[in-house]
Amino acid sequence: MSEKTASNLQKRRIREHNPVLNTFTFIVLSISVLACVIPFLYIIAMSFSSPVAITNNRVSLWPVDFTVEAYKSIYEYPNFFRAYGYTFLYTFFGTLISLFMMVLFAYPLSKDWLKGQKIAMKLVIFSMFFSGGLIPNYLLINSLHLVGTVWSMLIPYAINQFNLIILINFFKGLPTEIEEAAVIDGLSYFGILVRIVLPLSGAALATVGLYTAVFFWNNWFAPLIYLKSSQYPVMMLLRNIVNGRTMIVDNGGMGEKSSLSISIKSAVIILSSLPIIMLYPFLQKYFVKGMTVGAVKG
Amino acid sequence: MRGSKQPKSSPYANKITFRHYMGKYWQFYAMMLLPLCYFILFKYVPMFGNILAFRHYKPLGGPYGDRWASGYKIWPAPFRYFEQFLLKPEFWTAFKNTLIISVENLIVNFPFPIIFAILLNELRNLKLKKFVQTVSYVPRFVSTVVVISIMSELLSPSMGLLNRLLDQLFGVGRIYYMNEPQYFRLLYILTDMWQFTGWTAIIYLAAITGISSDMFEAARIDGASRFQQIIYITIPTIMPTIMVMFILNVGHLLSLGFEKVLLMQTSTNMAVSDIIDTYVYRYTLGSSSPQYSLGAAIGLFNGVIGLILVSSANFLSRRLTGNSIY
Repeated sequence: MSEKTASNLQKRRIREHNPVLNTFTFIVLSISVLACVIPFLYIIAMSFSSPVAITNNRVSLWPVDFTVEAYKSIYEYPNFFRAYGYTFLYTFFGTLISLFMMVLFAYPLSKDWLKGQKIAMKLVIFSMFFSGGLIPNYLLINSLHLVGTVWSMLIPYAINQFNLIILINFFKGLPTEIEEAAVIDGLSYFGILVRIVLPLSGAALATVGLYTAVFFWNNWFAPLIYLKSSQYPVMMLLRNIVNGRTMIVDNGGMGEKSSLSISIKSAVIILSSLPIIMLYPFLQKYFVKGMTVGAVKG
Repeated sequence: MRGSKQPKSSPYANKITFRHYMGKYWQFYAMMLLPLCYFILFKYVPMFGNILAFRHYKPLGGPYGDRWASGYKIWPAPFRYFEQFLLKPEFWTAFKNTLIISVENLIVNFPFPIIFAILLNELRNLKLKKFVQTVSYVPRFVSTVVVISIMSELLSPSMGLLNRLLDQLFGVGRIYYMNEPQYFRLLYILTDMWQFTGWTAIIYLAAITGISSDMFEAARIDGASRFQQIIYITIPTIMPTIMVMFILNVGHLLSLGFEKVLLMQTSTNMAVSDIIDTYVYRYTLGSSSPQYSLGAAIGLFNGVIGLILVSSANFLSRRLTGNSIY
């Protein structure tokens, strides 16, 4: 009897330990991790390497002949800081306006007993599957006289339906007892939203705030069609460097030019991505939860 | 009815008059007022702005044009712009390219995050699991511009790391991958995989973590191997999530990553990289003499097909698996 159990256990252990599956898991996940890390390492290495080392193909994942020349060139380039400033402006105020509008919309929509709530929800959901295309949107912004102003970056993107649904689902999950007690104590619904609901919604606000900030930070197509070149954010600057429309530096011999601009391009990539990537570890503990709440129920 | 114990369930619900109701709940409507007006202005007005597809656009005029479109050659009057693009081979090339890239991308990048999530769940070392997850999200946070810039550096024929590596491994020589039409789709799909796999896997991972451990326990006692547990428990249990994601993906078949394609487009890969959205862009905002009505007509055509696709995927899924999004 005990012998049989022991042999069964052993069999089970063998079945639990599946070498093919384990190897496959190991290979796929290792490749994924390397694929995510190596491109960034390479760009960092390029941005700190000397032009000669780059042209001689000596740079791979570690800086060769360490130099900060590329970063210095950016420092001397006036448009970069202006563009950087605009990126911060669009991201900060865009996110602020967006959170304000979405909270005001999501709180009433989280009350599914409220009259008219279902119709409003249907309006939100339908607009996720059908929308005015590029042209009607452009002509609307144009007829509101927003083209060529910074408002064209801040206003049209305030409500994103996916983020809205994350907030709605989060508010729905809050305990109603506290709100009911507050109503009995004579607090208005505005008061409840500001003094009770929002302080409890840190995780959801962080999640949605991060998604929104990432959107504004990375947006380049809207600036391309709506803004004057003097208002471009840093992503448009990078796009123009990639397309070869901006020569960021014009000094240096012909031979050095392309390799020097490669290291400058790398430095621009690093500087333009760093702030938003740095936000992410602080908010990471929240956003996985937020993402799943929104996605599963949405 | 998780919202609250108020109205409806209350015995007085039907007797509450409109005035009484508004007196009690007006604040909710006051909150909604600004965002709702905003929402209608920026989401629904452009939807009706699609009417421009049937109207003649007057430069510097309003967004709805100044008169109904006249006939073009064969079709009746307001369909002028539809006839203009539907009879053009250039449009159908763009249409075909869009479909091919989308379908190929769906075939590769729809299952991959599911596999990734399942494998990640197989990791018993929690710290390692957390590390892999954290690293895999990072690409989601960088801009498409950055993704394409990094790719162009990695693949640069003169000094790119990947270009050098491929040359050394397979002796293929230095190839200008970003410019060669035959690599365009591959690069599109690989960058999508790079950017979104970890992120999309979050949803599946959440669904997998939600599976009751009793089920796995029972399967283990019955002697199911880990591979059998994946096939007979994990995948069937997360099927609803998979179907919902599938429906959403199918709905977006014709609107693939326009911004990325625009960044990757060069004069040499045009034959495979011209998609519907870049075609619209080229004739409207990217042109010195924009044809807005034509652009609106193509946009509307695209939108309606998207709506039909998502409804049919939803219908089929409800019929076949019982899962649907509405």
